[in-house]
Amino acid sequence: MDELLAVFAQEAREQVAAMEAGLLQLEDNPADHDLINGIFRAAHTVKGGAGTVECTFIVDFTHAVEGVLSRMRDSEIQANGDLVALLLACSDHMASLIGVLEAGQEAPPDDLALEGRDLKHRLETDWLGATAGHPAEKIDPVHASGGGPVAGSDCWHISLRFGQNVLKSGMDPLNFLRYLATLGSIDSLETLSDAMPPAAEMDPENCYLGFEIRFRSGAGKAEIEQVFDFVRDECELRILPPNSRVNDYIELIAALPEDPLRLGEILVRIGALTQAELDEGLTLQAAPADTEAAPAHLPLGEILVEQKLVQPEVVEAAAAKQKQVADKKAAEARLIRIQADKLDRLIDLVGELVIAGSAVNLLASKAGLSDLGEATEVVSRLVENIRDQALALRMVQIGETFGRFQRVVRDVSRELGKDIELVIQGGETELDKSVVEKIGDPLMHLVRNAMDHGVESAEARLAAGKSARGRLLLNAFHDSGSIVIEVADDGGGLNRERILKKAQEKGLVPPGQTLTDNEINHLIFEPGFSTADQVSNLSGRGVGMDVVKRNITALRGRVDIESEPGLGTRFAIRLPLTLAIIDGFLVGAGRAAYVVPLDAVVECLELQIDSDARNVINLRGEVLPFIRLRDLFGIEGPRPVRENVVVVKIAGQKAGLVVDQLLGEFQTVIKPLGALFRNLRGIGGSTILGSGEVALILDVQALVQIASRTEEQRRPAPARPDALPALAASPASH
Amino acid sequence: MPAPLRLTFTDDMTIYNAAAQKAQLLEALDAGQDLEIDLSLVAEIDTAGFQLLLLAKREASTRGCAARIVAHSPAVREVIDFYRMAAHFGDPLIISAREGEPQHG
Amino acid sequence: MGQIVPHATLPAQAPTGALAAAGDAHQVLTFTLGGELFAIGILNVKEIIEYGQVTEIPMMPGFIRGVINLRGAVVPVIDLSARFGGAQSTVGKRTCIVIVEAPTGEDGLRHDIGVVVDAVSEVLDIPAGDVEPPPAFGARLRTDFIAGMGRVAGRFVIILDAAKVLSVDELALLSSLDGAPAQASHATHDA
Repeated sequence: MDELLAVFAQEAREQVAAMEAGLLQLEDNPADHDLINGIFRAAHTVKGGAGTVECTFIVDFTHAVEGVLSRMRDSEIQANGDLVALLLACSDHMASLIGVLEAGQEAPPDDLALEGRDLKHRLETDWLGATAGHPAEKIDPVHASGGGPVAGSDCWHISLRFGQNVLKSGMDPLNFLRYLATLGSIDSLETLSDAMPPAAEMDPENCYLGFEIRFRSGAGKAEIEQVFDFVRDECELRILPPNSRVNDYIELIAALPEDPLRLGEILVRIGALTQAELDEGLTLQAAPADTEAAPAHLPLGEILVEQKLVQPEVVEAAAAKQKQVADKKAAEARLIRIQADKLDRLIDLVGELVIAGSAVNLLASKAGLSDLGEATEVVSRLVENIRDQALALRMVQIGETFGRFQRVVRDVSRELGKDIELVIQGGETELDKSVVEKIGDPLMHLVRNAMDHGVESAEARLAAGKSARGRLLLNAFHDSGSIVIEVADDGGGLNRERILKKAQEKGLVPPGQTLTDNEINHLIFEPGFSTADQVSNLSGRGVGMDVVKRNITALRGRVDIESEPGLGTRFAIRLPLTLAIIDGFLVGAGRAAYVVPLDAVVECLELQIDSDARNVINLRGEVLPFIRLRDLFGIEGPRPVRENVVVVKIAGQKAGLVVDQLLGEFQTVIKPLGALFRNLRGIGGSTILGSGEVALILDVQALVQIASRTEEQRRPAPARPDALPALAASPASH
Repeated sequence: MPAPLRLTFTDDMTIYNAAAQKAQLLEALDAGQDLEIDLSLVAEIDTAGFQLLLLAKREASTRGCAARIVAHSPAVREVIDFYRMAAHFGDPLIISAREGEPQHG
Repeated sequence: MGQIVPHATLPAQAPTGALAAAGDAHQVLTFTLGGELFAIGILNVKEIIEYGQVTEIPMMPGFIRGVINLRGAVVPVIDLSARFGGAQSTVGKRTCIVIVEAPTGEDGLRHDIGVVVDAVSEVLDIPAGDVEPPPAFGARLRTDFIAGMGRVAGRFVIILDAAKVLSVDELALLSSLDGAPAQASHATHDA
């Protein structure tokens, strides 16, 4: 795909996401003008961009959407549930169309095209329809003007911008305007040719004209719109009814493409805004202003106001628009878009540099040259800084991922007939892009699960003395080198009795075995476990919570569950900030070196035991079971005289790892072991040491599980001390 | 200052001729002299033609010279009137007794 | 990076038995293993390196020797002798690791795999007419590991089917099911 297209697609997706986010908020605040403006701008930007890349099917469809949004903005129609649902469907469709463009297809496939036609038809007949009896909620302009001073004119204001193709399509603006004149009288008309490009680029067969028209007529808005029916798709038409608010004109200025100051002058000149209204506007400004325009006055604007050429609000809107443009330019200057794989390559290379750097360090210390040692120290420090900076480049905020769930929660709660509100916190929390990409699915599953099984029906909630509206919380925060992502609901909590019963029925738990609450909670992550008595189409689609757990474990993370009956359930996913780097503690056993993830390490001490009979030590009065790496890994050769214990803590459980040597802390680049070792438990990955040797990274949690199962198997019939249990995938249990 | 150049359009100023007429206009403007445009023979003008007049005016002023419409046919005058650009163009609109007849050569 | 090797005509990719019909000569790398001569399609071979610094992976069956650092990439090393059901090869002076591009696994990615051999001999062209289908039995090797029997200087060379011998999916499955004792020295595996 060519780069321009790729950039457009990326930006268009962002705009569609912004549009969707705006629409979701609009549901609760249907009259919020800022929201409507934002949604309109997003759609407008998509259309403009699509025009630039000459993607007509996106332009066509988005144009219809924009038309409806424009009417919302002009307060001609008001958002309601139906309209928002339709517009959401439209934003989905726009995203699909962008996908079609990205896939390099000339036109959308039939089913998509059909969907587009259907949506467009609904937009046009239900919300753009100019004919009588359409269901759009028309608002009496006088009634709607309650919010601000009325520009005292009994003329319609028509703002027209013709599309470039109208002339070629055989339509001449002259004919439409002449026809318009038959419905009333054109009080004043200003022809705008600002859009006409320099002579060299000006295509004489294109239309570049726009018009601001004061139109005196007894005709209704529908009739006026009908005049332009034939060019509906080829022009931007904005109509302000007589006696519109000054504010409406200001919004008009903001929406039009020309220079706002010039537009303000034009509006005054053609009589849209009069001297009387100017005075009114000034009075209004002297009183505690209820305008929302930015307070920033530009010198030129102030002069214009002093000279009473334009109203202050007009100037403010103009200033706000200028500022927007300036802000946008500044933001663009600060951001560079780059391909993610270029970044990955950079990080790989920096990783290699770190490894090569430690090799140099090793040589320097062997050589015993202190100058060289110092120099390599400096280099290593710089290399580490570079690596940190490179990794920071990949950090992204989780907010965008969270934001996507607004839509999910809205749609799913409708599907379920539940009223559920999503609360998002900690959206600014950063984590590695590669983690973000992989966390979406597990999060989706947890969110759907919480909505499906967590939050009760409104009746059940009311009966339990809770508000009818359920609450779902997505939260994220950093905690000692990890990111914690929480999915919490205020539902009924896990029904541990039922979970246990089900687990026993399914043979996951032997009858008679007692489990802690936490252990019961974790049963829901067992493969093949599902508490849903009825398989709903949401959670019961074959993949279960075990997949969630497996995905999270694969990211070197874990899930904790807290659940209070009647109060709700909280899933906390704990993940490393990045998958590329690990802070490790290097230990030696036999000839090999191993890395213990540092966040699991509590302390290190020398092993002091009297006999080999029990694998436990006394840690300041505490019984600490230990695993001797040599035994577990079947490392041959005699044990050293002195052995050391690394005390690790995983999921609240402490254990000791007995090793030969402690080699110190070590930050390192993780190298995955590859598909061949995908079933290997107990080893989380590998890394390359300064010597060039490969060291294995221990998965402490899995090691503890392996060791405890070994012991269990030992109980009935003692096996050889080095015998190992089958290492096939097996569910975790705490 | 050299004498103004005169450009006379005899064909309709419609989209069908717009490309050719644009080239003619720009070529005339490239001479760097004031331009007198005679439109008295233009029987029909549409928005494409009108845009060319806008272009001529704008290009002339960016080149520091003037483009004056020295003679209007009724069709041209009607369009300029309709678009309310007479004041902007600032050319004297002569309503002559010989209206509709060729005024110059 | 990114060599795209046409695989369509490789012995390694060809279904067993279809080889004799292929018509082209087979260019193979021959090597010795436990005193026997084997061959592998040259297009599968990426490079040959000296044996050294293999990090053992614990809790793995004996046919997985460990991993090596190949210019920054961690590459698994397979002991062919153990893979064929024998004892692990002992490392000698001429022991090499042949880096082979393994066939696509279920993840759809290509993997490099190192193969321990006693000694590398030479690169040979075996005319298609000199390649016989694998015998039904008697080769003391799973027949599906054999792409064909090449006649070279009056004796037979076993041309290995790399797709089968080095199937990442099979190797991964075996190492999880096997639960082989950690001690590598007596690891055996009957496929």
